[in-house]
Amino acid sequence: MHGLLIIIGLAALLQLLAAYFALRLIRVTGGRTAWVLIALALCFMALRRGIKLWRLLSGDLSESPDLFDDSVSLAISVSMLAAVWWIAPLFRTIKQAAETLRQARDQLELKVAARTEELRDANIRLTVELDERRQAEAKLARYAADLRRSNAELEQFAYVASHDLQEPLRMVASFTQLLSKRYRGKLDQDADEFIDFAVDGANRMQVLINDLLALSRVGTRGKPLEPTDCEAVLNHTLVNLAAMLQETRAVVTHDPLPTVPADEVQMGQIFQNLLINALKFQGREAPKVHISAQRQDGEWIFSIQDNGMGIDPQYQERIFAIFQRLHRREDFPGTGLGLALCKKIAERHGGRIWVESAPGRGSTFYFSIPGGKENDRDAKKKLPTH
Amino acid sequence: MQRRSCRPIEILLVEDNPGDVRLTKEALKEGKVMNVLNTVGDGEEALAYLRRQGVYTQATRPDLILLDLNLPRKSGREVLAEIKDDPDLKRIPVVILTISEAEQDIIKSYNLHANCYITKPVNLEQFIGVVKSIEDFWLTVVMLPPR
Repeated sequence: MHGLLIIIGLAALLQLLAAYFALRLIRVTGGRTAWVLIALALCFMALRRGIKLWRLLSGDLSESPDLFDDSVSLAISVSMLAAVWWIAPLFRTIKQAAETLRQARDQLELKVAARTEELRDANIRLTVELDERRQAEAKLARYAADLRRSNAELEQFAYVASHDLQEPLRMVASFTQLLSKRYRGKLDQDADEFIDFAVDGANRMQVLINDLLALSRVGTRGKPLEPTDCEAVLNHTLVNLAAMLQETRAVVTHDPLPTVPADEVQMGQIFQNLLINALKFQGREAPKVHISAQRQDGEWIFSIQDNGMGIDPQYQERIFAIFQRLHRREDFPGTGLGLALCKKIAERHGGRIWVESAPGRGSTFYFSIPGGKENDRDAKKKLPTH
Repeated sequence: MQRRSCRPIEILLVEDNPGDVRLTKEALKEGKVMNVLNTVGDGEEALAYLRRQGVYTQATRPDLILLDLNLPRKSGREVLAEIKDDPDLKRIPVVILTISEAEQDIIKSYNLHANCYITKPVNLEQFIGVVKSIEDFWLTVVMLPPR
C-alpha cells in the first residue's frame, strides 16, 4: 500500500514539475498555446493523482488502487520531464543560432548600409570629378582651337606680310640694281660702295622674304600627304642641285629609299635644304654625302650623312630655330631659315628632325616620316648616283 | 619683217605701278626692236584707249598689250574679258604680266583667252630678260595680224 502511495505522490510531483518546465519552455521556444495546453494536461494529471492520494490517505477505499494506471502515469511524468529536459537545451541552441543569425544579418545590413553610403559618396565624388574633367576637357579643346586659330592666323600673317613686302622690295631691289648697272664706276668710289650695300641688302631681304614665304607655305599651302617615292624626289633634287654638286665636286650616294605618305614638294625641300647644308659647310675634303633610310617603330628614319665641318653639340638644338645662324654671313651665306623649314616640314608630316655631329667629324641629319610600308625599299636596287 | 621697217611696234602697257612702268621702259630700251610704249594706269583707261574714247581719240591701235592683273577701277581680268569679247579688239595679243603666281589667276586668265601669262621676276636681270623675251617672241618671231 505504501509503495502505491509513493508512486502516486511521485507521479503527481513529477507531473507538476514537468508542467512547470513546460511553462518555462515558452520563454525558450515560443509556441505559448501548445505549452500551456501541455502544462494544463500535466496539472490535470497531477490533480487527479493528488485527489487519488488524498482519498487513499483519508481511507476512502472506493478508489481502486490500480497500480498499473499509476505506474503509467509515473512513466509518462518521467518521460515528459526527460523530454522537456532534452528539448530545452536543443531549443536553446536553436534560439542561440537564430540569435547569432539575426545578429549577423543585422551586421550585414549595417555593413551593406555603410557600403551603400560609401558607394553613394564615391558616386558623388565621381560625378564631381567627371564634371571637372569634362570642364577641363572643354577648356583644353577651347585652348587647342584657339592655338590652331592663332597658328593659322600667324601663318596667314607671315604669308600676307612677306607677299605684300615683296612688291615694294622689288622696287627697291630693281632700282638699286639698275643704278648699279648704269652708274657703277661713273660716280665716285663712295657712291659705288653705297650702291653695293643697298643692292646687297635688298638682295638679302629678297632671299629672306622668299624663305619666310616658303616657311609659312608649309602650313598654309601644303598639299595632302600622298604616297611619295622618295627616291624619285631625291633624284629630282639632285638634278636641281647639279650645278652646285659640280662646283663643289661633291659625291652623293644613296641607298634605296622608300615610298612614304608625304607632300612631294615639301619632301623635295627637306632633301634640298639638307643637301645644300652638307655641300655648303664642307670640311677639308670635297663633300661626300650619303642618304639612307631605316625602318623603325612604324616610321621611316631618313639620314643625310656628310663629311663636313660638323656642329658643336651645344648648338645642335639651336640650329633648327628660325633665323639662327652659327657663322658670319661673309663666311657662309644664308638666312638661317633652311633648317627651321626642314623642322616645320618634318613636324607637318608627324615626324621629327635631329642631328648627330661633332666638330671636324661630319654631321648626320635625321628626320622621321611616320607610316609607309615595312619592306618597301627592298624591291629597289641599290643605285649610287653622281 | 617688212612691218618693222615701215613703222615702230606699238605696245600698250596697262600698269598702275610707276616703278614697273619705268622698269619695263628701261628693259625695252635695251631691246633691238623699235617700239613705242604707251602706258595707261587702270582698266577703265585701258579700254578707253583701245576704243579711242575720251582723251584717247588720237590713240593708235597697239600691236601688243601688256596687262597687269591688279589694277584700280577695273581689274585686269575684266579688261581681258572685254578685249576678248570685242570682235575688233580680240585679235590683239594680250600678255598678262603680273606678280601673282596663284594657280587660280593663271587658269582664269587662260580661260579668258589671254595669249600668255608671265609672272614678274623679282630680280632686275631676270625682269629685263623676261621683257626681252617678250619682245623677241611677240615682236620678231610671231606674225602679228595687220593693224
